[in-house]
Amino acid sequence: MATVPISKSEKSYIQSSLLLAAPLRADGRALHDYRTVSLETGVAPLSNGSAKVNIGKSPEEGGGGTEILAATKLEVESIESGAGVEGGRIACTVTCSPAAYPHLSPNALDDLQYDYTTVLHQTLSHQSLHPSNLGILPKKKAWLLNLDLVILSDSGNTYDALFMAARAALWDTKVPVTKPVQYAARNSSSTSRLPSDAMDVSQDEAQQSGFDTRRIPSATDFELPDYWDEGEVLAGRDKWPVCITLNIHPPTYFLDATSMEEAAVSLRLLLSFSFPSKGHATMQSMRLLGPGELQLAQIQQFISVCISRYPSAFLVLSHHCFQEGEKYAQRLHSALESKLRDEEVRRNQRLRFALR
Amino acid sequence: MITFTSFPPPSFDNSDVSGGHYRQDEDMDMDLENDFGEGASKRLTYPGETLTSSQAFMRGHGTFVHDEDVVASVAGTIERVNKLITVRPVQPRRWKVDANSRQDAILMLSSVNLPGGVQRRKLESDELQMRTFFEEGDLLVAEVQAFFADGAMSLHTRSLKYGKLRNGQLVSVPPVLIRRLKSHFLTLPCGVDLILGLNGYIWVSKHVKENEQEGEEGFDAEAVYSNRNDNIDEATRSAISRVSNIIQVLAAHFIALTDAILLEAYEWALEQGTIKDLLQQDVGEALVAAVTTPR
Repeated sequence: MATVPISKSEKSYIQSSLLLAAPLRADGRALHDYRTVSLETGVAPLSNGSAKVNIGKSPEEGGGGTEILAATKLEVESIESGAGVEGGRIACTVTCSPAAYPHLSPNALDDLQYDYTTVLHQTLSHQSLHPSNLGILPKKKAWLLNLDLVILSDSGNTYDALFMAARAALWDTKVPVTKPVQYAARNSSSTSRLPSDAMDVSQDEAQQSGFDTRRIPSATDFELPDYWDEGEVLAGRDKWPVCITLNIHPPTYFLDATSMEEAAVSLRLLLSFSFPSKGHATMQSMRLLGPGELQLAQIQQFISVCISRYPSAFLVLSHHCFQEGEKYAQRLHSALESKLRDEEVRRNQRLRFALR
Repeated sequence: MITFTSFPPPSFDNSDVSGGHYRQDEDMDMDLENDFGEGASKRLTYPGETLTSSQAFMRGHGTFVHDEDVVASVAGTIERVNKLITVRPVQPRRWKVDANSRQDAILMLSSVNLPGGVQRRKLESDELQMRTFFEEGDLLVAEVQAFFADGAMSLHTRSLKYGKLRNGQLVSVPPVLIRRLKSHFLTLPCGVDLILGLNGYIWVSKHVKENEQEGEEGFDAEAVYSNRNDNIDEATRSAISRVSNIIQVLAAHFIALTDAILLEAYEWALEQGTIKDLLQQDVGEALVAAVTTPR
């Protein structure tokens, strides 16, 4: 899993620093500190929603940090003849820029992309998160939401950054407003009408003609009416999950690892949580990555450090991790949420200035 | 009625097998006899590959005799002088070193200190255990000895100043920021040693006293090529982190690194409290202002 080479002495230096009484990391952070996260939405004008996220970039430098570019693009799919699904679908793709991984061979890069894509797609395209306004015409047309993410540079903690960027881009996504259209043949009742009216009959009008006994959906196509904005936001956009990676170096764990630190620990636990505005937080996915293992003795050590009095050792560990993960995810989520709202205000102001 | 047939016998014709296999002709002896001069010189052997019969040929370097056959002992190209068969190894006796440069630098086995004294001859056993000296991922400090015709650097570590790095962490800055100094091995009074590599790699490590360095006469290969860190106390670790952050801040502001500036910055940073705050924008700017304004 390690994407950077690391020498044995560096590895043991990082590991022993983590296990000190006052744990210290290479840049002086505490175990549960994040680096500075920069975020901007609306970076790709041709997309329906986009965002750029950078973790750990120093303000003056041009490069550095983990940088992710995310963009969504909506595409009309036909349900009858194409790959479309009733109610629309979501497809996530992660691409790794070769510049971010200069020492990886193209094959290794493909593998890495595939790993990222799988985790992201399986989490985000789950039914429980599906937005309700991705359908266009029942049984005929639906939106395909393509979410593409590019890893421009990697200095650790890619999963958290990917989920942050995905959430920001989906938050930013505007679905164009559609209006169903029916092409009605001119019959005896409509001969008196103007031809232009006959070409464009909206759905509710069509249902008034009591001739149609076959009860198939009458709308065959749709049009895009003028709308004050580019469209409506995705329904349930507050549900998109955030991800927290716990880098486990028994008996301790830390957040937001740099790539060196990622290479020094063998086990990572990915937890992604969704925080709907109403109701409880739900866990959307969980992954244990890396060749390391948690042994029973280590888990027991975990317990003595953490909470005790739970029947099963593993339950305690997982419970603790989940609780902790949820705590950090909640923090991350609220910070991200306020940033996204700021971004919205900023862009609306800009828009208003442009209109003036 | 069901009948069973056996699979057709596997074809041994390798010519249609694509992939990473070296081309291998069916009749080795005939191959050697016939076109040994031109075609076979491009052929690679693998260790243990039977080359020819020992009755007709003599064994040279890189080969041995086993059951009246000349067998290759290394992976390499076959060479023949009259009846003498030798195998020249593919990548002999060298490490490739990433030097933050266009090409990888090369460190020859002959340019490192070997256990058992300076004057010792290289043996074949040294070639076989090169990984006990340096292995993949190891960090080392070396001096540029010469340049090859293609511009690649040849390094050497034949001094006790040079060798494997441990007890610290690496910081990478743009190479232009490293000024040429009288010595690139600095010791800061906070118990931190610095190696300012001219390629932009900076090693920040725990200070090792001169007399505790591995001595010349009692050259201790195990200590020199050890992967294990010494015990480093928390004060030293936080000093290492602080120095690393200072270097990163200075590099972000594009300030050339010298011992004087690093010392001044370290004193300034000590008064400022926590280490991680150094990476914040305002603290970083204050640090740069404090260091660059003349007193």
